[in-house]
Formats: sequence, structure tokens, C-alpha cells
Amino acid sequence: MAPRSIWNGTVTFGMVNVPVKLYSATESKTVHFHEVHRKDGARIEHRKICPKEEKEIPADEIVKGYETSPDKYVILEKDEIKAAAGDRGKVIHLEEFVEREAIDPVFYEKTYYVGSRDDEDLYRLLFEALKKTGRAGVGRFTFHDREYLVTLRALDDLLALDTLRFHDEVVEAKELDTPSAQRKTSPKEKKMASQLVEMMHKTFDAKDYEDTYRESVLDLIKRKANGEEIDLVGEEEPEHGDDLSAALEASLGGKG
Amino acid sequence: MARSLWTGSLSFGLVNVPIQLVSGARDLDYHFHQVHEKDKRRIEQRRFCSKEDAEVEWEEIASSYDLDGKQVILTDEELGSVEPRKTRTIEIEAFVDLAEVDPIYFDHPYFLIPAGDSDGTLRAYRLLADVMESEERIALGRFVMRSKEYLAALRVLVGVLAIKTMRFDDEVRDPKDVPTGGAKPKKKALDNAVAIIEELSADWKPGGYEDCYRARLKGVIDKKRKRRKIEAPEPEKEPSPVPDLMAALEETLAQVKKGKSPEKVRAAAAAADDT
Repeated sequence: MAPRSIWNGTVTFGMVNVPVKLYSATESKTVHFHEVHRKDGARIEHRKICPKEEKEIPADEIVKGYETSPDKYVILEKDEIKAAAGDRGKVIHLEEFVEREAIDPVFYEKTYYVGSRDDEDLYRLLFEALKKTGRAGVGRFTFHDREYLVTLRALDDLLALDTLRFHDEVVEAKELDTPSAQRKTSPKEKKMASQLVEMMHKTFDAKDYEDTYRESVLDLIKRKANGEEIDLVGEEEPEHGDDLSAALEASLGGKG
Repeated sequence: MARSLWTGSLSFGLVNVPIQLVSGARDLDYHFHQVHEKDKRRIEQRRFCSKEDAEVEWEEIASSYDLDGKQVILTDEELGSVEPRKTRTIEIEAFVDLAEVDPIYFDHPYFLIPAGDSDGTLRAYRLLADVMESEERIALGRFVMRSKEYLAALRVLVGVLAIKTMRFDDEVRDPKDVPTGGAKPKKKALDNAVAIIEELSADWKPGGYEDCYRARLKGVIDKKRKRRKIEAPEPEKEPSPVPDLMAALEETLAQVKKGKSPEKVRAAAAAADDT
């Protein structure tokens, strides 16, 4: 089945315009449940109630309000909120090109696949040029009336668009207060820890990591469906041994 | 001080470090509430049983799953029973090179800070941070938070352990059906495109990009408070593909070499089109 695009527009590269469409690159596989009433298994409905009138309110009487002080709202119409989206609904202008690997992972939010809207060679040209330089084009992207900071880059054999967090949305490590230990770690401890890191080093392959929790939730559903009694076990906390050197030695010995 | 979202321990071989998870991102967006237009009261979402047509307390709610047409109902206690026994532990499973992990896997950033200030805790924390920093490796582990398992990449940022939750492999789609255009570019076109990118190269300076959307939305809210009229800007026309690619590349390259920004290059091209 061909994937469905979620956005059509144009990427500009100087005077060159590349027509593109975007596709979701990720999908959550979390097991989702419906809320039901324990007693009778009937579906729960979320109703919108006005606390003054104590009755359900139809959607057309509900507006968006920004709270300026407790229980005081500035009401904004849909069109007014839309006005904040800016004027670039259908274009992504690449303004500059940065080294892809210089962008710290903290900034990355979500990735989309970028497809070509025609069979012209522009898409390939941009792809090959980004791949060759290892750079990502920085621009802005408007989606559902909201503007995002994005990078366009080469990913395997296609273009990908990443939405990025803004600098003030990222917490910096120096804002956190982490006390230092009174007794420094010894060179021997450091050496053992380095050995452990080396022993546990491997090449990254995403396939090695499965969502085991999701599997056990699905298994639980099946057991319950078969009428099995569910054992409600408690959780265990690991012990925090205080002898760092002994723990390191035991780790190395156990794996070596 | 940062709010702790989760407490547990980080295990590295047989070394356990008590840690707290705090968010690495802050939400600066303007949020709206649903309001009843008539009386300006905030709408409340309440749960009703569709059969009894009566409000239901939170404690009386269970989770239902549709298993091939059969309804299976689970209580919170039953769901809690499958959380792995070591649910309060982030166990380091492997160390990998950061460059091997594509950003497509990355989700939310967090920091891990020591829980408590016993010397044992702080020494173990510092040891792991120092070693990871000098080895330039990231650690992979997983943990369960709010009934969901997360794969996490652990790194060191300025001496602090930082993690990024990750998507699982089957949560990343296969891009094979995404159309990727026509033929490979000709050498001359590629050389020009590469030269344009080189000319427009800049260092990644995140502080140089401001959230204009947030600023505009604040402007809209302020105007509305003062009962001023709000007008949407005219949307920019979507440009059409240029007829002569080589000419457009050469002209772009010539302009950016003169130090013109892409914005100025586009403006010049648009002005030329109008005449």
C-alpha cells in the first residue's frame, strides 16, 4: 500500500524550487485501551460540561480561551489563531546549511520522510548534494497552523525533514545542580569501568531492541481472555551496594 | 529546581546508582483552554457511563481491549502486574557509537541526576559520567515509566548524564514506497548544488533561531486583549519549478558568491519574473 502524504509544498534552494510531499516516518505501537465502566463494561464517554450550567455543551458553543488571570480568558477565534501561523504555509526556504552531526540530539523532535511530487531530477539533485556535503539545510515549516524549525537532510536513500526544538526549550546541563563526591574515584576504578564499557561495546542495530513491555501487555490480554487468574506480583528494588570497586570487579569477572 | 519525574536506579554491570529523571525540555507554548462562549466558564471534561448515562468516578474505570472482536477488560492492578520486576531500573545493555544512531529514533530529552547525596551514590555517578565522557560512547538501556517501556540512549553533557528516549525499530516506518524523484543528477548540476551549499554553510548556532510562531501568537493574544483587529498575513505563493535548472543553479551560485542571502536571491528572481 502506498503511504499517504500529510503535507504538500515546495522546498526552495536559492532559485531552484523542489515540489515535495511529506510522510510520517514514525508511528507509535503502544497498546491502546478504551476506558470502560468496571461494573458493566460499557464505554466511557467524555462529556464537555459547563460548571455554571451543569450541562453538556455542544461543540459549536465552545471557543478557545487564553487564561490571563485565574478564570479570566481572552477568547480567540480560529482565524485569529491562524494569523499567528505566518505566511509560509506551502514553502520551506532553505536559508543556510549546517553540519548534520553538529546538531546535538537534544534538539531533534520528530522526523518525516520527504517524497518527490514529480519525476523531475530536482529531488535527486538536492539529495545527492546534501549527502555529499554531510550538511542539513535549515528552514521553517508550517504544519497545522504552527511553524517549526526544521532541517532537511539525506537519510539512506531519501530526504528527511526533522522538526527541532528551539534553544530556549532545551534545558542546559549547567542549570542542574549535581553535587560532587567527597572521595574521588581512583584510577583503578576508572580503568575497570572503561574495560566494562569496552566489553559491552557493539555496533548499533535497532532490531536488537524490542519493546518487551508491549509484548507482555498483549500476552496479559490473551491470558485474561482465556479466563486465567492474573497474579499481581510486586516489584523489587535492586540493592545499592556501597563498595564501588567490588561491584566493578564482580562485573568484569562475571562477563569475562 | 528541576522536578523529578521518576526515581529509580541506573545499573551498569553490578554497579547501581540511585538516580532521578528530570525533563531536558521545557514547554514554552501558549496553551488554550476550552471555554463556554456564552458565560466564559472553563469547560470541564467529565466521564460518563454510556449505558447508565451517569457520571463515573475515576476508580470505577477499567481498560478495555478489543481482541479479535472479543472485549477483554483489565484493571489497573492487572496491568501493573506485567511491569517488569526491575521496573525501577535503567539497565545499561550495551555501549554504541552515537554516530550510528540516526536522529529518527530520538524522542524526548531528559537528564539523570543523583538521587540523594551519599558519597557512594555520588562516586558511582561521577565514575560512570567520567568514563562515558572519555570513551565517547553512548549507553543503551530501557526503563518503564507511566505504563510504557522506553528504550533510552544515555550520554554525558557537561558532566551530567543525559538521556534521549528512543523509538523502537518497528515504530520507524519503512520508506520504500516514498517516491524519490527522477534520474541521478548530472555532474555539473551536482557540482553547482554542492558549491551553493558550501557558500551558504554556517555553524550550527541554535541561539540564532527564535520561535517566531510563539512571538506572533503572543502578539495576537495581546492585540485581542486590547480589542484591536487581527489580520492574517497574505500567504506566500507556492513557487513553481524553474524551466531551466542549469541556468537557475548557475544564477543562484553567482548571487550567493556575491554574499546574497537565499531570501535576496529569491526576491531578485521574483522581481525579474515580474518584468
